[in-house]
Amino acid sequence: MTLLRGRGATGQGSPGSGSRIRSRAESAGGLSRRALLQAALAGAGGIALGGTLAGCAAPGAASSGKTPVMIWDLFSGGDGALMQEMVGAVAAANPDIAVDSTTLEWGAPYYTKLAMTSSGGRPPEAAVMHVSRLAGYAPGGLLEPFDLDALAALEVTEADFAPAVWQKAQFDGQLYALPLDTHPYIMFHNPVIVQDASLAGPDGKLDLDAVAGADRFLAAGRAMAEVTGETGVGWGYQRDTAGCWRMFWGLYSQNGGGYELTPGRPADLDIEAATEVFEFLQEMVDGTVAAKNQDGNAAAGRFMTARTGTMFAGEWDLPMFREALPDVGATQFPAIFGTPANYADSHSFVLPRQAHPDPAQREATYRVLAGLLKEGLTWASAGHIPAYQPVVEEPAYQELVPQRDYAPAAEIAVFDPDAWFTGGGSDFQTRMGDAMTDTLAGEAPPRTAVTRMLSEMDRFLSQPNPA
Amino acid sequence: MTVSNTGVTAPPGQAPAARSAATSRPGTRAGTAGKSLRERDRSGYLFVAPFAIATGLFLVWPTISGLWMSFTNQSLTGTGSEFIGFANYAEAFSDPQVWQTLWHTVWFTILSTVPLVVVALVMALLVHTGLPGQWVWRMSFFAPYLLTSAVVSGLSAWLFQPDIGLLDTWLAALGLGPVGWITDENVAMFSIALVTVWWTVGFNFLLYLAALQGIPAQQYEAATIDGAGGWRRLFSITLPQLKTITGVIVVLQLLASLKVFDQIYLLTKGGPNGSTRPILEYVYDIGFTNYRLGYASAISYVFFALILVFTLVRLMPTRKEA
Repeated sequence: MTLLRGRGATGQGSPGSGSRIRSRAESAGGLSRRALLQAALAGAGGIALGGTLAGCAAPGAASSGKTPVMIWDLFSGGDGALMQEMVGAVAAANPDIAVDSTTLEWGAPYYTKLAMTSSGGRPPEAAVMHVSRLAGYAPGGLLEPFDLDALAALEVTEADFAPAVWQKAQFDGQLYALPLDTHPYIMFHNPVIVQDASLAGPDGKLDLDAVAGADRFLAAGRAMAEVTGETGVGWGYQRDTAGCWRMFWGLYSQNGGGYELTPGRPADLDIEAATEVFEFLQEMVDGTVAAKNQDGNAAAGRFMTARTGTMFAGEWDLPMFREALPDVGATQFPAIFGTPANYADSHSFVLPRQAHPDPAQREATYRVLAGLLKEGLTWASAGHIPAYQPVVEEPAYQELVPQRDYAPAAEIAVFDPDAWFTGGGSDFQTRMGDAMTDTLAGEAPPRTAVTRMLSEMDRFLSQPNPA
Repeated sequence: MTVSNTGVTAPPGQAPAARSAATSRPGTRAGTAGKSLRERDRSGYLFVAPFAIATGLFLVWPTISGLWMSFTNQSLTGTGSEFIGFANYAEAFSDPQVWQTLWHTVWFTILSTVPLVVVALVMALLVHTGLPGQWVWRMSFFAPYLLTSAVVSGLSAWLFQPDIGLLDTWLAALGLGPVGWITDENVAMFSIALVTVWWTVGFNFLLYLAALQGIPAQQYEAATIDGAGGWRRLFSITLPQLKTITGVIVVLQLLASLKVFDQIYLLTKGGPNGSTRPILEYVYDIGFTNYRLGYASAISYVFFALILVFTLVRLMPTRKEA
């Protein structure tokens, strides 16, 4: 916008000023001006050239004699500092490797950059990816599978991972992602409000039985609303399409809903089960149990100022909540429908395909990644559940509160549906969230959300997989 | 997209410039002794070269390769660059999202252009009539224009925040119900237009103010002597004198509004329920989030063609006047 207007404006004024410059230059003699221009051109060329050369140089590498390993991650929040700490520890343990970790902001642009760098042939040695995005990347040849023998040599084997997440990291019988954690969408609670509403167990924390089943959950929400004088349950759905999708998919799985997403065929959902989910959500977002027209920021603000008793959020928000509420509690997602299930995703390491793979770098990369998995205790302090089980079994992890309280969520984790277009930061999640907003706001019946979601799914299924 | 607009913006302002340069040239040539014509022409090329190279690299080449891409199934992930003829265009014309998002862009253009011209004119007239503390007005009207879209969107997100936002808090104090500023499908686009007007009206205001200051004072003096009142002077001198600049502002504003992307992407990401998604965001979503560069190129060329046709139609009367 600025550029365009600037040009238009210059165009207006140019005739007069242009001729004035010309005549003055002629009287002073063209040579000095030419020399000036040449110098400027040479300078600009030099800068451009310097830029290119700098771009070519491998960062912090060869000169020091270390093997460079570059890792991209998407931890721009509080967990980013912890990842840096872990990288530091691993780098100290492997003095022959120069680990260069780059943090990029998470979201759709991250995956755009990752796809572009992979297709460009000079990607980082390893990158963090949501395991839910694997289906869009592995088949297209953007990633390389892990060598299980090389991992086993570093004491990383299938037995060290929870089956659900290990399974999700597979494609075509090969391991394409090395899971770092499971990060479920859970329920935080304020123990004081929970106790005042008589929903606490003997340990003073939320009793999961008191919120099991839709009716009991809504009653508990009203009881907490009475205590706070505002609302009982914190959930922001406005302008948070990812949050909408996490909530829906978790509850839909609890309600036993299956799916079929086969490219070229119409999408299939259990319409009854999905409609029931929206009937429940509409009841929940009634202004008392949960605020009517709330976004994630407002919900978090209410929860941290004790104006609401519980909060649906990703466990990665734990550091933020704990700052406001030091004794904040957290549990796995309440069993609102029959089958226990907890929406989750997993941060995992992937190996983007290199145009010119270097065996020494590959070997160093494996060592770095294995080292990072074993630093899982540091990672757990951000809230994430380490995927590497030996860490979870350490006594130190069992002492982390409230982390240990929601660790069971990993065992009932449900991941995004398998399709090339789904996953964290995908357009699919945005479209699904968009499709349900009207229903959640009470402006459309529950069935409308399901119909809209199905038609959006059909659109994705009718498109070719670009990878 | 920028490509088309810059190319298209140039004519209204530059057409007279080019003409005047052409007429003055022979005279200048006759005046320069010593250097031959050819020599002078050669140095001309040198002067043009830097801009020509930059234009070629960053404007002409991307335009051509984008056009080629729109006939292929090129993906961002590097696969597929087979020629598939007009398949992308056929898909674009039958894709309801293309027409829906195009309408959103047009709707935003209508909502923003009218106040951006009218409000700018009113502000310029008020300041020009000699309000005390001229520089304060000039600065405060123009200052928002200097902000980046990220800052503007961040600020307005807090104003518009559902439930706890500043605007809703004020409304509640007046006993008025909450407005879904950016969460209600019927309101969101108005909110975005409102923010855009606040943000960018300063530029048009400045253009109008400059034009107002360029109107010769003698005309007003003569009119006053003839007994014309303030309103009479406004309608018979000021507004007619602003006709040219209004034409320029309208064209610039239309083109700027048609390019809308950043404030919408940052504020609503095209929501709620896709009701504010402009066509450029759709192109971005298709190309960069869904990796379908070929199809995204085709949509942007359809948009390009529409703007081109629109601009040519708009330019025809201007040419005749000149």
